[in-house]
Amino acid sequence: MGDVLNTLARLHDGVTRVGFHLSKLCLGIIVFAYCYEVFARYFFAAPTWWSSEAVQYSLCIGAFLMMPHVTKEKGHVAVTVLLDMLAQEKTRLLYWFIYLVGFLACAAATWISLDENIRQIVKDVHLMKVKPIPKIYISAWITYGFGSSAIYFLRMLDPRTLGVEKPASGMHG
Amino acid sequence: MVWWGTLSGGLAVLLAAFMTGAPIFIAFLVINIAGVLVVLGQPGFGMVANSIFETTNIAALSAIPLFILMGELLFRSGSIDILFDSVDKLVGKVRGRQYVLCIVLSTIFGALSGAAMGVAAMMARTLYPGMIERKYDSRLSTGAILAGASLAPIIPPSVLVIIIGTLADVSIAGLLIAGIVPGLLLSGMFLIYIFARVRANPELAPYGDSDTAPEVTLWEMVVAVLRVMPFAIIIFCVMGFILLGVATPSESAATGVLGALLTAVYYRKLNWKMVSESVSSAAFITSMILVIMASSKMFSQLLAFTGSTRELTSLIVTLNFEPYVMLFIMMLIPFILCMFIDQIALMLVVIPIYQPLLGTLGFDPIWFWLIMLLNVTVGGITPPFGYTMFAFKGSAPHVPLKDIFSATWPFVGIFLVGMIVIAAFPPLATWLPGLL
Repeated sequence: MGDVLNTLARLHDGVTRVGFHLSKLCLGIIVFAYCYEVFARYFFAAPTWWSSEAVQYSLCIGAFLMMPHVTKEKGHVAVTVLLDMLAQEKTRLLYWFIYLVGFLACAAATWISLDENIRQIVKDVHLMKVKPIPKIYISAWITYGFGSSAIYFLRMLDPRTLGVEKPASGMHG
Repeated sequence: MVWWGTLSGGLAVLLAAFMTGAPIFIAFLVINIAGVLVVLGQPGFGMVANSIFETTNIAALSAIPLFILMGELLFRSGSIDILFDSVDKLVGKVRGRQYVLCIVLSTIFGALSGAAMGVAAMMARTLYPGMIERKYDSRLSTGAILAGASLAPIIPPSVLVIIIGTLADVSIAGLLIAGIVPGLLLSGMFLIYIFARVRANPELAPYGDSDTAPEVTLWEMVVAVLRVMPFAIIIFCVMGFILLGVATPSESAATGVLGALLTAVYYRKLNWKMVSESVSSAAFITSMILVIMASSKMFSQLLAFTGSTRELTSLIVTLNFEPYVMLFIMMLIPFILCMFIDQIALMLVVIPIYQPLLGTLGFDPIWFWLIMLLNVTVGGITPPFGYTMFAFKGSAPHVPLKDIFSATWPFVGIFLVGMIVIAAFPPLATWLPGLL
């Protein structure tokens, strides 16, 4: 049983690693699309129809492809003032509770997003763009992001790996 | 339930959820899913899914990874060292020259980086040890670095501006450009404060340190200016393109990234590992921010559904307070909350509540949101919770946190004076955007 779980965990990490690299690719696409747009518009007087759409899709897909990696690395922003003040044993307990709530919240978001994905497939919902594409092509990555993160939160509940390290602080300020 | 009960209860539960130490996006998800279940029932879940999708499909938000990437490329490549050397040559012999160097460099870095944390960490690693070695006052050095780093979110490019502009539905280009004059004003105020402190207490800067400044000839100064020209091109790609109307903020951010890459090539500092690490870091931080934004969107929609936002607007109208009293109250709340909670989380809660009030109060949106930007930015250095301080601590671990806390307060005061000046003289914020 333990071997099966370890194999599944390694598989999960492998998929996350692929997502991490694809997310970087998405950022590359954003840079390329915008630079090409500016050059095409001002040097060739030929604005593109696709750059804005490519950027929007890449932003969404890239963010949710990276999300499981952020969860795995405990990189989500959190306010740790209370955790800093608690004793180590109580901190472990609180972390266990946080990971449990994290799992439940991400699982609920996955279910909500999956339900919407199924509706989009059944009703053949398309995005209203210059070149309409099925909405599921983009929204499916949201389900992936939340679903995979839910599994990471579940894995963090394992008492053997439940550390007391704090979630990383954000870098947006 | 009456509207004020819903509003205050919702906010209290949300803040309590933040304080548990749970990731902010989880706190928002829990409150929003529970809120939708109570207010709209299960059929409302489709709206949750759509709010997540729509938030992460806003093209304007793509400026966030691009601004971060631009700063990462410049900092990680070491191109910034050339800027460092050149500015060091140009500062000249002044009393407390390391403080001056710190503020001048921070102001320039502010125009090259969109986030305070990166600048604070970089300055703590590079400039701070030299200041201490030269017997500069540790507390004033720390304060100067943290205050200088806090110029980064104000002077374009700015990640916080993109978030405020998107949430408040105000011109991102206008808000970005509006930050130039207040950023320079604050920079000047920091310098005046430092000169006054050093004059009052000469021990804050060692005697004779100005003599250690490199002897620089006029020709060397010209060379120093020429060497930093590639950075001027990057700044022009971002600010110039927006001001000239050549590109949108996101497009100018992308050209800024290209400029940062070309700068690294020019200085022979481009390598694959550095680019890969920069892209990884930018994508990581972007995911972190976008997931919070996506998870929070439904909160403002729930407030609207319950009628809380509308009722609050009506209440403000009937209160008939002077606009400046309202401005004071509206700024005091985020100022206090930012001492304890994350800046983005705070904006996601406060902006949807404040936005409908602006029309009623007759406030200019650019002016108001710029003061909010200053307020939220200073939240990064108001103890006990501030990312800019934590970034400094991470790069200078031997500096006690209590010293960092005490070092920031005088500069927090300067920020507050700056906010009052901009509140009293709105053209400082609105003049440049008016040229767009």
